[in-house]
Amino acid sequence: MILATKLGARVGAFALTNISFHVPSAAYGVVIGPTGSGKTTLLEAIAGLVPATSGMLELSGHNATDDSPDVRDVGLVYQLGLLFPHLSVEANIRYGSADPAVADDVARRFGVHELFGRRVQSLSGGQRQLVALARALARRPGILLLDEPFSALDPARRAAARRELRAIHREWGLTTLHVTHDFAEAGSLGDVAILLDGGRVLQSGRPADVFRQPKSSYVAEFLGAENVFAGEIIAGGDGAVFRSGPLRLNVAGAPPAGPCNAIVRADEIVITRAAPAASSARNHFSGRVSDIESAGATWRVTIDADGAKLVAAMTTWSADELALSVRDTAHFTFKATAVHLC
Amino acid sequence: MTAPMRVRRKHHAFAAIAAVASSILLLFLVLPVVHLVIAAGAGGASRLFTDAELRQSLALTAITATAAALAAALCGTPLAWLLARRDFRGRALISAILDIPLLIPHPVAGIALLLFLGRGSALGAGLLAAGLRIVGTPLGIIAAMLFVSAPLFVSGAREAFARVDPRLEGVARTLGDPPWRAFRRITLPLAARGLIAAGVVTWARAVSEFGAIVILAYNPKVVSVLSYDRFNGFGLSEALPVAAALVLLSIIPLTALRALRMGAEPTGT
Repeated sequence: MILATKLGARVGAFALTNISFHVPSAAYGVVIGPTGSGKTTLLEAIAGLVPATSGMLELSGHNATDDSPDVRDVGLVYQLGLLFPHLSVEANIRYGSADPAVADDVARRFGVHELFGRRVQSLSGGQRQLVALARALARRPGILLLDEPFSALDPARRAAARRELRAIHREWGLTTLHVTHDFAEAGSLGDVAILLDGGRVLQSGRPADVFRQPKSSYVAEFLGAENVFAGEIIAGGDGAVFRSGPLRLNVAGAPPAGPCNAIVRADEIVITRAAPAASSARNHFSGRVSDIESAGATWRVTIDADGAKLVAAMTTWSADELALSVRDTAHFTFKATAVHLC
Repeated sequence: MTAPMRVRRKHHAFAAIAAVASSILLLFLVLPVVHLVIAAGAGGASRLFTDAELRQSLALTAITATAAALAAALCGTPLAWLLARRDFRGRALISAILDIPLLIPHPVAGIALLLFLGRGSALGAGLLAAGLRIVGTPLGIIAAMLFVSAPLFVSGAREAFARVDPRLEGVARTLGDPPWRAFRRITLPLAARGLIAAGVVTWARAVSEFGAIVILAYNPKVVSVLSYDRFNGFGLSEALPVAAALVLLSIIPLTALRALRMGAEPTGT
């Protein structure tokens, strides 16, 4: 378990301020944030390499705020691996391990046991990351801290390493905190998501909640929400309406009147060529397609509707079926519950 | 003549000037020493068998320089680590203090040491009362050598520590090492070559010291003082073999440094 309560830490001019979050025992936490947001400093503060200047840190149920790193029972894996260059791969992996069998098992699971005799200078970036991960796990720590541990791996090995890590996490009940830039990784791995920026926690909670219900337009945009509008609730209570310029959105619940932001994720919008028949969806827009772009396995379609740009997502299969082109007319439909206010 | 040809000619002219200037400097540095070794190298080597004073002087020089280098390493290593790893108030002042022995003329350093450690000073009188005589003894030679060479050790050791990524020690701490064990298992081996190189440079500087030693401990004579003494007393012909022996002695650290640099390993990953 990791429980940070108003934790503060400082490295040079950069400061972590009022960091509060909770990763329960045996849970998998992910830390997301832009470059320079303090993700690595946060891991170093939890590991005890950067001293806390305020607040409290509980690890596995006891106050570890002032504990030195060697007694925190925490494994730390840096993005670059940071292997000990004067030791062999085997000596690196066995460095902190009290049980050789655990070191061997972990090395085998990540496919690095065959590198045992190699010098670390001869390893690729991906191999270094795997050896560093095996080194941290070989000690069988109570808590594992990972700083983008798979960034140098090719997609196939990354998927395999992720699976193995997830399996060890389950088998050992290993509390894990994993820094990543990859939202897909965050969504697939995490039980708890912590969004960090400027040395502060912007939001934390279940990944689904953080992604679906961002607390601010900044969080929404950072997390890749395509439709973020600043405006106001003009008719509060039941049947409330959000207004942003000429755009009107029907929203669920009974929000009070006043200024706020509205967020609609692109994958919550249904795209049709013909106007939809009567449905339960409260929001319907028609407009000309101004842009269609590929986003990997999906496509993003933008229409100009009521003076605002709306972006919807569809699969390649749907894109083939609809055969939309720029300047075609398209219809976007979504429920009032898809409009998130913050 | 075309523009590219003019550019090529300019490059050739610049390369020629640089080559001539570099050659003049290198020849100026090497030729006197080579000439000395050619003129008196064989004589110096043969004198080692016949000249007991030269043998004693060489041994004294080697022993006192080794003692000074060890003292510099013992006291200088923690200071170098602090300067490389910790950001604290007064760090710039300490760096400036370490430059003082390198900047002041060495006879002046000798006078300062004489004032500080001589029988006229409280410390000198105290040491004398405790049975430790500094002036005119091997201890005085070591003190003079230490004063002029220790800053070189601290500077070299500081660079050696600075080249080791401090996060490596941090990782070792998370793997269960207390601070001293992480230092011993990670930082020290990775900085070892740099520390040894700093020690060799310190030793070489101590061997070549004359100005401070001649003030603080003219006797017993180290090789540099013996060379000066023979030159003054008997002329160039008597000083030459001693000087050649000193040059041969200084080849030892030069060779050691070359070996260390050839086997150098990266200190980060």
